Amino acid sequence: MTTYTICIFTENTIGLLNRITIIFTRRRINIESLTVSETERKGISRFTIVIKHESREEVEKLVRQIRKIVEVMAVFGYLNDEIVYNEIALFKISTPLGSKSLDVETINKEYKAWVVYWGLDYVVIEKTGNDTEIFEFFGYLKQYEILEFVRSGRVAVGKTEKGLVEYLPESEWAYYL
Amino acid sequence: MEAIASIKPETAHAVDTAPVVAPDATYINGSHALMRCLLAEGVETIFGYPGGAIMPVYDALYDYQDQLNHILVRHEQGAGHAAQGYARVTGRAGICLVTSGPGATNLVTAIADALIDSTPLVCIVGQVGKKLLGTDAFQEADVMGVTMPITKWNYQITDANEVPEILAKAFYIAQSGRPGPVLIDMTKSSQLELMTKPFVYERCQSLVSYRPRRIPKQEQVEAAANLINSAKRPYIFAGHGIQIAKAEAELIEFAEKTGIPVATTLLGQSTISTNHPLYVGWLGMHGNYGPNVMTDQADVIIAIGMRFDDRVTGDASKFIKQAKVVHIEIDPSEIDKIIRADAPVIGDAKEVLKALLPLVKPNDHTVWRNEFRKFDAIENETITVPELTNLNGKIRMAEVIDMLSQKTKGEAVLVTDVGQHQMMASRYYQFRRPNSLVTSGGMGTMGFALPAAFGAQVGAPDRQVVAIIGDGCFQMTLQELGTIVQNKQPVKAIILNNNFLGMVRQWQQLFHERRYSFVELQNPDFITIARGFGMDGQTCDQRDNLSDALDTMLAHEGPFLLEVIVEKEENVFPMVPAGASVSQIRLK
Repeated sequence: MTTYTICIFTENTIGLLNRITIIFTRRRINIESLTVSETERKGISRFTIVIKHESREEVEKLVRQIRKIVEVMAVFGYLNDEIVYNEIALFKISTPLGSKSLDVETINKEYKAWVVYWGLDYVVIEKTGNDTEIFEFFGYLKQYEILEFVRSGRVAVGKTEKGLVEYLPESEWAYYL
Repeated sequence: MEAIASIKPETAHAVDTAPVVAPDATYINGSHALMRCLLAEGVETIFGYPGGAIMPVYDALYDYQDQLNHILVRHEQGAGHAAQGYARVTGRAGICLVTSGPGATNLVTAIADALIDSTPLVCIVGQVGKKLLGTDAFQEADVMGVTMPITKWNYQITDANEVPEILAKAFYIAQSGRPGPVLIDMTKSSQLELMTKPFVYERCQSLVSYRPRRIPKQEQVEAAANLINSAKRPYIFAGHGIQIAKAEAELIEFAEKTGIPVATTLLGQSTISTNHPLYVGWLGMHGNYGPNVMTDQADVIIAIGMRFDDRVTGDASKFIKQAKVVHIEIDPSEIDKIIRADAPVIGDAKEVLKALLPLVKPNDHTVWRNEFRKFDAIENETITVPELTNLNGKIRMAEVIDMLSQKTKGEAVLVTDVGQHQMMASRYYQFRRPNSLVTSGGMGTMGFALPAAFGAQVGAPDRQVVAIIGDGCFQMTLQELGTIVQNKQPVKAIILNNNFLGMVRQWQQLFHERRYSFVELQNPDFITIARGFGMDGQTCDQRDNLSDALDTMLAHEGPFLLEVIVEKEENVFPMVPAGASVSQIRLK
């Protein structure tokens, strides 16, 4: 199984997420993570969808089917080494009176994570990084009581010199996989 | 954007509830705006069925009945298939107008059929008022959700001001690129409320996110031309895309210049006259023998406007492995989807063929072409001649189609349903004119033919339209006899009655040891049914009467139903068993 990151540039319209996910469900491809936000160009949304698949050919077909949706402007499929990517995770750690004290120095210096909120008897720690780094940190935090753990979808930018929106909307149809 | 209609606001038509916004009584409501849009797009005919959530549109339609010919069908599926038949013969979008909930869901089969067979439809569907959306209101269904996977594009209008822009988009999307069905879900509130600005209609010419390529890239054309020029045994697969692009003349010119044999797909039939010397037959599960087996011999395949359906390829992993493939397609997602293309050319079939023509060298592949003829002789001897000349037993489907073909000189528009009769019609009708076969290919929708024949007749009033229908199929949409009679359309319908769901029975015979599981029908008296609808008809069960019966039907002024009792357990051959490779084609 190879991880692919699919970046989709679309018009910002109601129901488009549904139209896109239908393409995945129909081919029985599971979505590992999904992030949607508006791009630097107004009215254009960017979907970042992470999937795992054993066949590059099938992913290429998937990309072309997504491109076929009327509101979709461009689709790019990337391997991990072609992008800079990150996720954000929040850990809510129980810190009642008398519990094991947090080693904030290790958390900061070793794991590049930060306490972003102090509650009465808990703290919230924020960690950004790729999934491996986040799970390493998760492993470290297991010595404490983790009340909640949440991880965002992946955000990614390509390692090419150009910005992706430069391909829009004049870009020619091309296979970026 | 080119403005083709800019109409002055006029007094709004009375509506059955107070408009939500009425800044100026001179502005029109959403329903009237819709009518103006349809007229601006040159729409003449609407196939529809009224109901609660589309009432304001029907109320507006009352004022436009001199300009818009609304045809009241008997079931929304009939509206969909009639619009498909209309679109297929005219090349313009067929229009459906139905109500919310069940009205819309009844249309679903036709929409799915139109998507897979690239047929332009603009379906306008009523929806509950904006405030009732998501409340499980009466006749509310999530039609946007239901139709998302089966439309090229769909949109929910919740504001009357959106009507002109969205309709313009709908027509553009449905009819451009690879055509397909578009659905507009129009809330009742948007039908009723007044626009807050003057109605202006601008036809849509382009969209920022949807820009189908019509004119091919020169380098792709050159790569294709090089491959074609180097070919020793080139072979053209002519698909439906050629007729959609109206490129029949260009195809023939291209084939004649290069001397390349042409086979069609099921939906590509009638692209080229069946008596053209370069035409070798049609491809597919029940296509001709030579065209199928010769796919293994070709060194270059030129596939035009076709998508390598599994009924064409059989086992795709074994299909045309030895050949280089030039794939001419307007839809880029078809490239490499089933068969990897060595020289893909994205573009409109007409534009691509025009661009290719000066680059290809004149050639004459007589020796190669003659190889097809050897297989024709085998097919004739084992299948065609016996089917047409064996005078024992009941009438055979082949005889009916062959005789119809002669009597209509191959010039009729044939509309077929799905099953054995569909394959027999394709095998034995000798098409002489382009755009003469309307059939449900990709979806294989039983019940398609009767309403589609009606729609085709409305769209092509000057042509003889003959529907070929199985006894099973006929009973799925026979209520549309009422529509045909009410609208006085001279549709001729032939039921080839074998009292079986013939194709399923054939599979059960060949692949399930004759375990006939629920395929035998106890049929009604079809002619009595036709007469009940006010349509003339007759039954023919004797070979000696067949010619007279066909003459009677063809000479009849109005619509006519001819039931022909045919051999009960006849099989369609050749046949490529499902999942087998094309070379495993069976002749018996």
